[in-house]
Amino acid sequence: MRALALALWGAVLLGSTLSGRLDLLLNGVFHPLVGLSGVALLVFAGLVLKADRDLAMGPGRRLSTPRATQLALGLSIAVALLVLAIPPNPSFSDLAANRPAELGEEAELSFVLPPAQRTLTDWVRLLRSQPDPSLYAGDPVRISGFVWPQDNDQPQLARLLVRCCLADATPVGLPMRWPAGQKPRADQWLAVQGTMAMEEHNGQTRSVVVAEQIRPIPRPRRPLEP
Amino acid sequence: MERLATAWAIFQGLLIEALPFLLIGVGIASLARWLAPGGAWLRKLPRDPLLGPLTGAALGFALPACECGNVPVARRLLAGGAPLGTALGFLFAAPVLNPIVLASTWAAFPNQPWLLAARPAGALLLALLLASVLRLLPETALLDPVLLEERRLSQPLAEVGLLERRTGLVGAVSPPPLPAKPTRPPLQEVLQQGSREFLDLAALLVLGCVIAATVQTLLPRSWLLAVGGAPTLSVLSLMLLAVVVSVCSSVDAFLALGFAAQITPGALLAFLVLGPVVDLKLLGLFRVLLQPRAIAITAAAATVAVLVLGQWVNLVLL
Repeated sequence: MRALALALWGAVLLGSTLSGRLDLLLNGVFHPLVGLSGVALLVFAGLVLKADRDLAMGPGRRLSTPRATQLALGLSIAVALLVLAIPPNPSFSDLAANRPAELGEEAELSFVLPPAQRTLTDWVRLLRSQPDPSLYAGDPVRISGFVWPQDNDQPQLARLLVRCCLADATPVGLPMRWPAGQKPRADQWLAVQGTMAMEEHNGQTRSVVVAEQIRPIPRPRRPLEP
Repeated sequence: MERLATAWAIFQGLLIEALPFLLIGVGIASLARWLAPGGAWLRKLPRDPLLGPLTGAALGFALPACECGNVPVARRLLAGGAPLGTALGFLFAAPVLNPIVLASTWAAFPNQPWLLAARPAGALLLALLLASVLRLLPETALLDPVLLEERRLSQPLAEVGLLERRTGLVGAVSPPPLPAKPTRPPLQEVLQQGSREFLDLAALLVLGCVIAATVQTLLPRSWLLAVGGAPTLSVLSLMLLAVVVSVCSSVDAFLALGFAAQITPGALLAFLVLGPVVDLKLLGLFRVLLQPRAIAITAAAATVAVLVLGQWVNLVLL
């Protein structure tokens, strides 16, 4: 049974790496570690199976299994099967609502791309490093992201930054001015073309994206930004 | 329903991120057990009240293991006749002062370099304090009787008080007997024990991830901010959480990540420093080493020290 539980955990790690599930859960730098650990757990399971057989046949003493260990074993098998069976499908706007929107010091821009090539994250970083809306007014914008509802404002288009895993997902969003009569649904992924403009918000001038063409897109294969 | 789906995704993220580090930790602990540290060199370790615990703490880099892996190693050190301070320093500091734990802390908090320095420093201070406090007790009141018997076999007779001697000539200064060369356990046993340890800890990790994912998604954010934002209350609540969750030091940083945005820095450090020394699982594990009174003193001293540390960090950083 222990070998089975180890093999199931190995399958969880290796399967998540091969199926691309990790793209939705972890920062890319950890993917090779998870894959290798999956392989190591499968090898470990094989060795434990062999050791169990050797001990069962040989004169060596068998280790008795305490009740707590049996419970732990059952929990491992049940949870590993559940994880294998039910893939993650988080609501990005829920994740964003649970975390304060803050960028660390490393969020400085190292170079600036032409406006039409900037991703949503590039735009947010640029606006935070040089918050002068007049610099960008009229620039073309081509970005994609998910719809992130705001309390006292129009919904923003946003992305999630992940340093380690989904638990530290930090939202970065751009204020949007949606076409009249259009109210995008929370969590929907959209590709937006438009221009940067300036508007007054709570007594301050800020940059806002005026959406001109909006196209629903499927969730990208790698939805998290490093 | 959507919240539940989000909690499930966070749970998977935490679990899948932490399992590789748990595997490395258990692998190294098993290797240390197989290589069986022992022999005459143990008795040559420094006895100085300060240098002893520091040497023990530094052993964490040579024998990296989380707190569950290092209890058996600390027992072997004590049974082999290592100085008390050194063994206690190893027991309390090595679960944090080792490369695996530092790597996982860095993986979880790459944007908070202060934590990478404060966590080992806090653990070292705590280990020094606990070793100094526990040294005040005589060994007979401190160590488990079975362990004490084994330890006496490896100690020079002259080091043992007259009333504690059970054998030997009174007053004789005989050359210390060389401890029997530790035998290497068969590989099958090491594999079985390693697999059991991994699965026991994986179960605890699952429970910890459930708590972290639930707290982050299902509890109202206003509650979290009310508790996490208050300096003393946040330190106390995270200390309580560390004791209850009982997750291994090699992966606890990932669980802390779930709360990090809502709590004070002192509370974060308190969670990361207290968990490896005092939690529900360890209270059981420590019974193979210490007497109940010594365990109670350890828990009380560690709680007070970590509370002060957390408060102090909040004072400086907030």
